[in-house]
This record gives sequence, structure tokens and C-alpha cells, in this order.
Amino acid sequence: MAPLSVAKPTEQRSSLLDRFLMQGGIVITFLVVAVVATALVEPRFLNRLNLINVMRNFALLLIPSLAQMLVMTAGGFDLSVGAVVAISSVVTAAVMLVGSGYFPGMEIGVILLSLVAAIGVGVLVGLTNAGLVASLSLSPFMVTLAMMSVLMGIALYFTQGIPIYGVADSFITGVGRGQFLGLPIVLHVALVVLVVCIVMQRFTALGRHIYAVGSDLRSARLSGVATGRTLTIAYVLAGILAALTGFLMTSRLGSGQSTIGGTLALETIAAAVIGGVSLRGGVGRAEHVALAALFLAVIANAMNLVQVDSKYQTLVLGAVLIVALAIDRLLLRKRQA
Amino acid sequence: MSTPSGTKAQSVGPLSGGAVKDMLLAARLPIAIVVTLVLFGMVEPRVLSFGNFRNIAIQASYLAIFAMAQTMVILTRGFDLSLGYTVSLVSVAASMAMVAMGSGDASILYGVGAGVLIAALIGLANGLLIAGIGINPLVTTLGMANMVMALASTISGGFPVTGLPRGLTTEFAQGSLLAIPIPIWFAGLVFALLFLTLKATKFGRSLYIIGANPRAAVAAGIRTLPVLVLAYTLCAVLAALGALLLTARTGSGEPNLGGNLTLEAIAAAVVGGVRLSGGEGGVGAALLGALFITVLSNGMNLVQIDGYLQQICLGVIIIVSLIVNRDVTRR
Repeated sequence: MAPLSVAKPTEQRSSLLDRFLMQGGIVITFLVVAVVATALVEPRFLNRLNLINVMRNFALLLIPSLAQMLVMTAGGFDLSVGAVVAISSVVTAAVMLVGSGYFPGMEIGVILLSLVAAIGVGVLVGLTNAGLVASLSLSPFMVTLAMMSVLMGIALYFTQGIPIYGVADSFITGVGRGQFLGLPIVLHVALVVLVVCIVMQRFTALGRHIYAVGSDLRSARLSGVATGRTLTIAYVLAGILAALTGFLMTSRLGSGQSTIGGTLALETIAAAVIGGVSLRGGVGRAEHVALAALFLAVIANAMNLVQVDSKYQTLVLGAVLIVALAIDRLLLRKRQA
Repeated sequence: MSTPSGTKAQSVGPLSGGAVKDMLLAARLPIAIVVTLVLFGMVEPRVLSFGNFRNIAIQASYLAIFAMAQTMVILTRGFDLSLGYTVSLVSVAASMAMVAMGSGDASILYGVGAGVLIAALIGLANGLLIAGIGINPLVTTLGMANMVMALASTISGGFPVTGLPRGLTTEFAQGSLLAIPIPIWFAGLVFALLFLTLKATKFGRSLYIIGANPRAAVAAGIRTLPVLVLAYTLCAVLAALGALLLTARTGSGEPNLGGNLTLEAIAAAVVGGVRLSGGEGGVGAALLGALFITVLSNGMNLVQIDGYLQQICLGVIIIVSLIVNRDVTRR
């Protein structure tokens, strides 16, 4: 039932603590500490409006982090995530601007059209990444780094760095600021994506194949897994999720921006590895990544509340990433000793 | 399923079996450099002038230093994504030190000392985290990159640091020795030192062995911790040297000096043929790669191609050279 490749605590003597750590206990501890500490230091954290804000940021980090997780569990890497977000934001706004000229009064249709266009870009990037990584077996790190350069270049060339305005109002109020059952629409979208990912990882052949390809490409191939197709699907899904993020961010910002997503590669990798996704592939769970993304969103919000300079926030993010991994490694070593 | 890569390599093999073809492939980068020069020269004759060659050589020196620095860690299957921001931080911190010491020519020493010290600390931290604790080099240096970037922009307040000693901005930027510009001397010196280190020292051989097979390296009795720590420290200190030279050229300490340098340095090394999976390539490859990328961007600048289009070209060139180098090393 469970994916064959995921390291389960096989030793009979594994203690309760060990099992807690294996099941994402570190992330949960981080998260609880962050929430409690923030609430104590800054009671405004628990303000309803602030919590909604945290939820929105969490949602917009969760979706690309799940994209990163999909590629990483398949043994890859996606540094182009932020660039896809930027370019799909530009495409969303551009299609909406042009489309509303052609089809006045059909706002919903135009919004859907721009979503399709953005997703199309994501699929295209995913296919290109996968083609280079899977078919030509090039280093995913280098390929997606080069892809990032290309995509940022394209987005900046067409916009010259200037935001594209003229996004439909109903898009901003309905999607970006919209709420359903008292929670932001973007959160609902992100949670649906999360559930789909969890179901896929736990109960589908595709999920098992991604783990298998990520933990050992050759054995996966020998056991009959269509490795090329599995990798392609992983990269394409990642492209789609990144494009969806760009679409949603546009609704939040109210304009298409080629400059967003700059730190997203770092943030999504941080969320993934803090959530226990292995850089060597084959290991990682969507629900743990979600907890890690929430942890990062809480920290960012806490720093905003106590008015830490945004530059120091980058510093803290870098430090959190390294410290979290160091703790993880040291615990692992202790466990193995 | 994709084509199994084995059959592809075999089909390339017999076709290009000739000795001439082998030589052409071995000399692919010098050929690419000449072809690029000629092509741009046809559009814009100034590309082929002596003055421009001198320009290219100077510009390539800086990138070559960074690419060679990066090569030292790539050889071990590592990476230094913090290189670019280390350059920024060193530029800012060294400039502030020099200004604080009165901007006289003697203050240059303080600037150099501060810059090298800071870089050495960053490299040491990278090396200890990677080799001592065992965190993945990519994530370690990515995290470090963000911390260093934040430091560079906060200590300077985000503004350039001006008022550098004249000795630095004239001698080290425009000066020449035996008719050869100073930056070229430095790049040559770094090349010679690293070349000898890699060929003739135990440390150099250890880098290759660790990169080719970390487990075998441990089995062979190589103490990976000190070797890796030294490699990352060396990488950062060389980055500091490049940063000081670039600062001399710019004439001020710039918090944004190194933004794109990480990508360009890795690109130069990879285009030159340094293998990302470790253990293959050398500083000569990095030097040629840096020269090629400089020739390309110099040509694009002279024929006035938009900066963003250049960014697209850089990405495409990286991918193409990955494909070419892969097929060459496969054979």
C-alpha cells in the first residue's frame, strides 16, 4: 500500500521519539513553537484579519512548494519555479487586457481564457524541462537554472519590467480578495491542490512511480516503470502548479508583474526540505511540506508584525533553512549511531 | 520511454570516429570563440579591433577568476551559490573599511584584509556545514547566499560606498605591468596557482577523487572534511579577490555587484566542460568558458542586443553546451 521507496522505520526497536521524528515531528515542533512564540510576543497575530492574511500567504507559498516537492521526490529540482510564476502572471494580465477588448462584458470568460493561457505556459515549460532532464539526461539543476534565465529574460523583455494593469475587477475582488465560508478563495484552491497531491502520493500508481523514479531511476526502469513518462508528468504538474500560482498572485496584486517570484525558488526549496523532502529524491510527503510552508508563512508574518526590515527577513529565511537542515542531519546521525 | 541514452552514444561513436573529428571536438571551445568573434565582426567590424580584444581580455579576467573559484568546489560535486553575494558583501565591506581608514593608499590593505577575512569566514562556514554536518551543498550555499545578500544590502543601507582610495581605482583597474593590464595578471596568476594545485598537490588530487567517488575517497584514506573545508574557503577567498578587482573597476562598493555572477560563474565553468557530477574538468576549462561567455556578451553589447534578450541567450547557450559536453564525455 505505502510507496515502496519511502523509508519506513523498519528497525523493530525504533523508539516513540524516533517514530515521531520520522512522521514529520520536527516540522510540527517548529510550527507549534513559531505559532506560540509569535502569539505571545505579538498578540495582534491572533487578530482575525491577520490570520486571514497569513492564510493567503500560506496558500500562495503552498502551491509552488508542492510543485517543488513533486519534482524533488522524482529526483529532480526546479529552480525555474519563480520564473514560471512571473511569466504566467504576465501572461494572465496580458491575455485579460487584450481579451477584454475583444470580448467586452464577458469577464468570466476572459478570466478563464487567461487561466488557460497561463496553464499552457506552465505545461510548455514543464515539457521543456522534462525533455531536457529526462530524454537528454542533463542535470536538472543546470537545466532549470538556464530555464529560469530564459523565462525571466522573456518576461522582462516583453514588459520591460513595467507591471501590466487592466486586470478585470471581478478577478481582483472575486479571486484575489474573495472569501468563501469565511476563508480566502486562494486558500481553498491551495487546499484542494494539497488534497489532490496527498491522494496521488498515497493511493495512485503515479504517486508510487514518482517515488520509485526518484529513489532509484535504474531499478524503477528495470521494474517496468515508464521512467521518462513519470518524470515528464512530474515536471508538467510542477509547471501547472507554478502557473496557477502566477494566476492567483496576479489576482492578489491586481496587475501582471515580471518581477515577482524572485525569492520563490529559495522559499519553495526551503518549504520542501524543511518538510522532509530529500534532495536525493524518493522521499517526501505533501502534508509535511504543507506544515513547513505554514511554518514559513507564520515566521514571515511574525517578522512583519514586529517590523523587521525585509532584508533581515531574507537573512532569517536563509538561517532557518540551514538550521532546520542541520538539526535534521544531526538527529539522523544520532539515530543511526 | 525516452530513447535509452546508450544507443544514442553508440550511434554517434562510429560516425565521428576519425582523429580529425576528435581534435575538432577537443578544440570545440576555441573554435566556438573564433566563430563567435567572426560572426559578430561581420555585423559590427569594431568587434575585431585590437582595442576590443583588450577589452574582452580584461572583462574575461574577472569572470574567469569567479569561474575558476567555482570550479574548485564543482570538482567535489559541490556548488557555491553564495559566490555572487559574497562578491557583493566583500565589495561593500572592503570599501567601508577603506573609507573608515581615511581612504589613503595605505587603507587599501585594510580593505583587502577585511574582504578576505569575511570571505574566508563565509567559505569556512559553507565548508563546515557541508562536510562537517553533511548538509547538501546546494541548500547550504543557497541559504548562505540569502544571509550574505541581506548583510550586503543592510550594512551599506542599499547604497554604493563611495570615496575609495585613488590608488585602488587607478592602479588596480586601469594600470598595466609590462603592457598587460593588471586584472589579466591576476587572472593569470590565479590560473597558474590553481593549475599547479590541481595537478601537483595532494589536495588537488583529493578534490578529483572526492568528486569522482566520495565513498572511494573515504576508503582511500582521504580526510574529506579538511579538504572540502579548504576547497570552499579557497573558493570564497578567490571570489573576494575578484570582488576587490571589480570594486576597483567600478570605483565604489556596490551592494548589487554580484547579483548575476553566481549564474555566470557556474555557466562559464559548465560551458567550459567542468562536469557538475564532479571529478572532471579543470581551471583551464573554466578559463575558456569564461572567455567564450565574455566574447558572446561583448558581441551582443556591440551589436546592441537588448539586455533581457542577452539573458535569454545565456540560458540557451548553457543548455546547448550541456548537451554538447554530455555527448563528448560519453564517447
